[in-house]
This record gives sequence, C-alpha cells and structure tokens, in this order.
Amino acid sequence: MWSLNDWKVVFVAVGLIGVLSFSSFSVVLFARAPAGEVFSELYVLGPGNIAEDYPFNVSMGGVYTVHLGVGNHIGSSAYYEVDVKFRNSTDRLPNATSGEASPLPVVYRYRVFLGDGNVWEAPLSFSLLDVGFDRNVSSVGRLDINGVVVDVEKVSSWDNETQGYYYQIFVELWRYNMTSSSLRFDSRFIGLWLNVTQSF
Amino acid sequence: MRLWASLFLMGFLVVLGVCLVHDVFAVTYQDAAGQVVDADQALRNAFNTVVVAEQQGANVSLLLSRLDGAGSDLTLAEVALAAGDYSEAISFAGACRSEALSVDADAVALGNDAAIVAGDWWMMVVFSVASSLIFVVVLFFVWHEFRRGYLKKVMASRPEVTA
Repeated sequence: MWSLNDWKVVFVAVGLIGVLSFSSFSVVLFARAPAGEVFSELYVLGPGNIAEDYPFNVSMGGVYTVHLGVGNHIGSSAYYEVDVKFRNSTDRLPNATSGEASPLPVVYRYRVFLGDGNVWEAPLSFSLLDVGFDRNVSSVGRLDINGVVVDVEKVSSWDNETQGYYYQIFVELWRYNMTSSSLRFDSRFIGLWLNVTQSF
Repeated sequence: MRLWASLFLMGFLVVLGVCLVHDVFAVTYQDAAGQVVDADQALRNAFNTVVVAEQQGANVSLLLSRLDGAGSDLTLAEVALAAGDYSEAISFAGACRSEALSVDADAVALGNDAAIVAGDWWMMVVFSVASSLIFVVVLFFVWHEFRRGYLKKVMASRPEVTA
C-alpha cells in the first residue's frame, strides 16, 4: 500500500500537468522569439542579378542596367524612398556618419512599402545623353533613367591618376518617420563609378 | 453683305470662345503641384493607418502592395510635373490619392477586425488563467478529502492493543 507521501507526489504531479495544460494557451500567445538586430539594407546587383559585371566604362547612348534592392529588418512595415542621384568626382557625397544626405537633386525616385522581413528589388536602367569632350574635360548633359530623361549638366576633368572621366550614379535610402511625418535619410547609400568614354 | 458680316461675327465669337475656354480650363503649375502635395500627404496618412492596423494584429501585406502602386503613381506625377505636363501630373496624382484613400479606409476596417480577434485572444488568456486556478483549487479540496479518508482508513485498520 502507498504511503500518504507517495499519494502527495501523485497529486502534485497531476496538479502541475493540469496547470501547464490549461496555461499553455496563454504561453503560446505571449511567447515571442527574441528580437534580432534592427536595420534596413540597401544593395545594388549587376545586370545578371548577381554582384558582378557592374557597368563601369560607359559611353553615350548605351543602356546599362543594374538591380536595386532594399531589405526591411526593422520589426514592422516601413515606407522607404530610394533616391537616385548623379554626381561628378567633386560633388559632395552623403555623410553616413552624420546622417546628412547629398544636397544634389533627385534624378529618379522609387517609393517602396515593405513588410518586416521582406525584400524589394527593381531594375535601374540608365543611359548618358548629350555627352561631350573638349580637351581635358567631358560633360554629360542629360540622363535617361528608366525612360525618364532628366537634365544633369555635369562636367568632369580628366583624371591623370586613374586615366578617365569619372562620374558616379548613387542611391540614397530614406525612411518615413511616423512621429515626425517626414522622410529621413537612413544613413545608407551606395554608388557606382562610371568612366565615360567616347563611343566610336 | 449683312450675311457675310453676321458669319464673320459668329466665327469671331466662336474663336474668342475657344480661346477663353482654354484660358479658363488651362492647368497651371500651382494646380498640379498642389495635387501632387495632396497625393503625397494622402499616401503618408494611408501608411500611418496601415501601420496602426498592423499593430492591431492585421495582415497588411496586400495593403502594402497597393501602396506600392500608389507610390509609383506619385513618382509618375512628379516626373510629369517636372516635365511641364501638368494635366498628366494631375491625373497621376489623382490616381495616387484615390488609391491611398481607399487603402486608408480598408486599413481601418482591417484593423477593427484584428482588434476583435485580439479581444478573443484576451478572452482565451482569461479563460486559460481562470481554469488553471479552478483546477488547482478543486485539486486541493480533492487532496484534502483524500487525505482525510486515507488517515481514517489507516486509523481504522490499526490493530488495537488489548490488556
């Protein structure tokens, strides 16, 4: 015959199993995976959707394509603007440390609404128009981006060290801030150097 | 002669009317820019509402893809505005605003539905905690009764010592 202590152990075991079973609904509702690092990502892939064959030597009229990507890892849905800008080697770049965007005008803008954990990708096709060369200076008058023609009027001097006329097409990532109801530079940008060559 | 004069006068009035109508209905930069600003604001408001619905537990992925479409319309409106095509700018801005308002309304409805479901979840939590407590209390009484019966049985079966 079992002693009273043996029966006590049985009752306590039944009690624990019962409490765990009944409270399991609440545990499932409140259990959350630990939050990971909160960040947004911005990337550029080459024409084959892989990280190679980026356009570098470009000439007037040629159509070049890269793929832009944005990833949302901030824990909720986000509203991003991906601003495409064009500069020569002396124009100011954005400052990721101070969070200051480039003062250059936007030549093309993507608006992206992205759920947490999702990635957006879109092609960026561009073509340089009205390209001119005069002695040691080149100029780009207009830019065709995704079929939209924009005046840029940029000039670049011959770079003796790297042997080329350099321009840069770069993209800045902006994110909508609900508190201030405004878009803010997310301190992320990425650029592609372009060496403008004469086409024959 | 009077007939020719009448015809000339009528023709003149028609041409004048066409010119005036064009002036009255001509779209200015200010009109188009105003529409673009309104569309931009509507898009932001819609996104705010979508985020609130998401916080209430709604699945907003479909609403986000609709906002993507509205955002593309706004970009096209800005491009048209910059190119001086004000009618086109107004058209795209209108499409953006209309879709943003529709998303806003749908997000409110979706958020309300999610809030009701969340209320059901809370009921489940309350039920779960209450049933655990009741189970413990009942088990305690069962244990109490069992213990009393057990001791009684033990006492009854104890051999009596006779002198």
